Amino acid sequence: MVTVKQVEDDNLVSKVAIPEQLNCPRFCFQDIRIPLYRFSSQSLLDDSPFEGRVCITEDEQSALDSLLLAQWEDKMWKGVLRYDVTTSEIKVIFGRRKFIAQLNERLGMDYVPKPEADKICGQGNFSEFQWTKHQEESLFYVASGEMAIPELIPSAAMPDGAVLIIINEIPLEYGHVFLVPCGSDSLAQVLDTKSLEMVARFAVEINNCSFRLFYDCPSAGTSHRYFEACYFPSPLPVELTPVDTFFHEGRRGMRISAVTDFPMKTLLFESNKKFKGMVEVLVEICYQLQEKKIPYNLLISDCGKKIFLFLQMQNMANSGTLSAWECGGYFLFQSRSEFDQATEEAMLNKLRDVSLDDEGFQVVKELCCSIADKFAV
Amino acid sequence: MDSQLNFNIENSFNSRYSYCARQVLDELPDSFTISDPSISGHPIVFVSKGFLKVFGYSKDEVVGKNGRVFQGPKTDRKSVMEIREAIREERSIQINLLNYRKDGTPFWMLFHMSPVFSKEDGRVIHFVGVQVPISPPWRPRWSASGAVRNGANMCDDGDRVCGNIMFGSCRREVCSDTPVELSRVLALESVLDDSSRGLGIEETCEASYLEKQKAEAAINKIFSVLTRHSELTGRFVCAKRHCLPGAGILSSSLNISLGRIKQSFVLTDPHLPDMPIVYASDAFLRLTGYARDEVLGHNCRFLRGVDTDFSTLYQIKESIQTEQACTVRILNYRKDKSSFWNYLHISPVRNASGKVAYFVGVQIEEGSKNQDRNGLCPEMRHRSVVGAVKVAVRSLSMGAGPSRS
Repeated sequence: MVTVKQVEDDNLVSKVAIPEQLNCPRFCFQDIRIPLYRFSSQSLLDDSPFEGRVCITEDEQSALDSLLLAQWEDKMWKGVLRYDVTTSEIKVIFGRRKFIAQLNERLGMDYVPKPEADKICGQGNFSEFQWTKHQEESLFYVASGEMAIPELIPSAAMPDGAVLIIINEIPLEYGHVFLVPCGSDSLAQVLDTKSLEMVARFAVEINNCSFRLFYDCPSAGTSHRYFEACYFPSPLPVELTPVDTFFHEGRRGMRISAVTDFPMKTLLFESNKKFKGMVEVLVEICYQLQEKKIPYNLLISDCGKKIFLFLQMQNMANSGTLSAWECGGYFLFQSRSEFDQATEEAMLNKLRDVSLDDEGFQVVKELCCSIADKFAV
Repeated sequence: MDSQLNFNIENSFNSRYSYCARQVLDELPDSFTISDPSISGHPIVFVSKGFLKVFGYSKDEVVGKNGRVFQGPKTDRKSVMEIREAIREERSIQINLLNYRKDGTPFWMLFHMSPVFSKEDGRVIHFVGVQVPISPPWRPRWSASGAVRNGANMCDDGDRVCGNIMFGSCRREVCSDTPVELSRVLALESVLDDSSRGLGIEETCEASYLEKQKAEAAINKIFSVLTRHSELTGRFVCAKRHCLPGAGILSSSLNISLGRIKQSFVLTDPHLPDMPIVYASDAFLRLTGYARDEVLGHNCRFLRGVDTDFSTLYQIKESIQTEQACTVRILNYRKDKSSFWNYLHISPVRNASGKVAYFVGVQIEEGSKNQDRNGLCPEMRHRSVVGAVKVAVRSLSMGAGPSRS
């Protein structure tokens, strides 16, 4: 049973409580009829370069952004969420890094685990209550489409290869959702190209700089395949840190850089064309990391233009890994005193303590180069 | 460009500075733009002749556009983000930036941007952006593990540099001293296939001390013109903030975020006497027929009329007092006294401290032919505006404050 875990004694919230259905491979969403957003056939991620699309207007809210915000706010209005996360105080921790802290006293407090969930799920039949619950937590599907422009279908059953957007009723930030790729191989333990491509495309089409996507690699022995996303009001510290590019391939326009001067070992992947190629490389790298038992996290920001890869320490007990938003520099506190006393030094140490070491980082960098090389041929 | 936006842009400059300010600015040789963050889309409201010469655009192609249109695929995203941060924090920034001319050729320039404050209430009126082209020879930023492009490698099939390998020194063509040679290089690049276009331009260029001085000097000249010519209109501007922004003044970044929302809505500030409107969207002005300065600072009650139902007004008042959201159908009146049924949603909006900072009111005219282009029903249109406003306001007055840390 997943509950909110606390790291040591510092009262920091490290893991988000996860809806049971995400841990249950046999859960089936097919019966739920909700809105369906179909991407246009003109893929942003195929071999066509980003270059021709620099004119994508930033001046206006995108249809997908409107849909997500509307659905989320609607669930809030209908009382599906446990609390209003905008009542939680946020601040910048004093110092050069601009780490962000949130005081969320309700997180985990009123979270009541539902012990029957796994059993019911395993048998593959739901009580009326469960079904209603899943229905109300589900926001909409996204899937690829054949039309020249994106289309919104008010009510639809789940199409093949869709991504289901589920609200997190215990949100960490405004708009906190789970993105669950619902493919035939949803039992897979590793990240696959199709899923990463779909969610990256989601980030591109939502076209809102406040929107960020996360992925935490599954801890050993577990299987899950979902992403998280929310609106962060200001840039995460890692996004403002300088980088040093060590791999640059002109044809694909792909760049891999090491984030310098950051306590957590981090790589940045960027591509201004052949986005799909970069996703393939990244998925292979993630697979190799998992083989090497190096815990990692992904952060997709800047409307899909940047993907950060956080590298954590090898062979750590699973409970010690940090989530992607913590790696990026956003911390949650459950008590007022901890929140008030949070210092930059303590946060630096928290990140340093779980970061991959220099030697391991060098190996990963070389691994990235060789994988990127292989795909370039 | 629609006429309202056209008017806003003209007015943005003319209402602040005396009529001969344009003439004096036009005589400055420098490349610069002045933009207004309070107009939706943060458009350029003034462009210098020097800018048009450097970028190859005509004046009409630039005024009304956002400065972003001069960036391109090779423009470093991090620099763009740093500029966005500077706008958010309402401070000056000097940064090396890759921009694109009208013909698509990229070039490095030193971008220096500074906010122009209103002396009276401390709000940001404009941003001045100066562009100083960085002249060759370029000095790419080197590092032990950095990959550097060079001419020898340019036409290779693989065109890829990896790891610690460095080819030669700097790209010879790019090191050329004369603009003629440079343009030859650019022409050469344009005939090469897509994959090698713009190579060499990808390395960060550092501006020299001289160029930094030049940008600084240009900014000072422009500010001296703006300050002098604002005295004549009585609406003084200054380079330094003389007082904290007054009550009811929104920051530039909040204005810019709210400008992305194209539906009719207003923000009202419950902490000010009589709860005045502090933001009104363009769509609200179109719907009600009022001008922006006729509604800002006023309570929403000017929308009421003789047949407006009192029980509905009471319902709104109650929801504001209890800090709850509410949806009502209310008869409202335009400036020309014509009435319309307003399907209105009101919701509290909280800032970084978690306290209610504003109330947002979203108006949808019943029976209007203006259907939502995103295909959302009226309730969902309400929600989407509220959601977007909540995200924009969420980080407002955030603790230690990034600019002061």
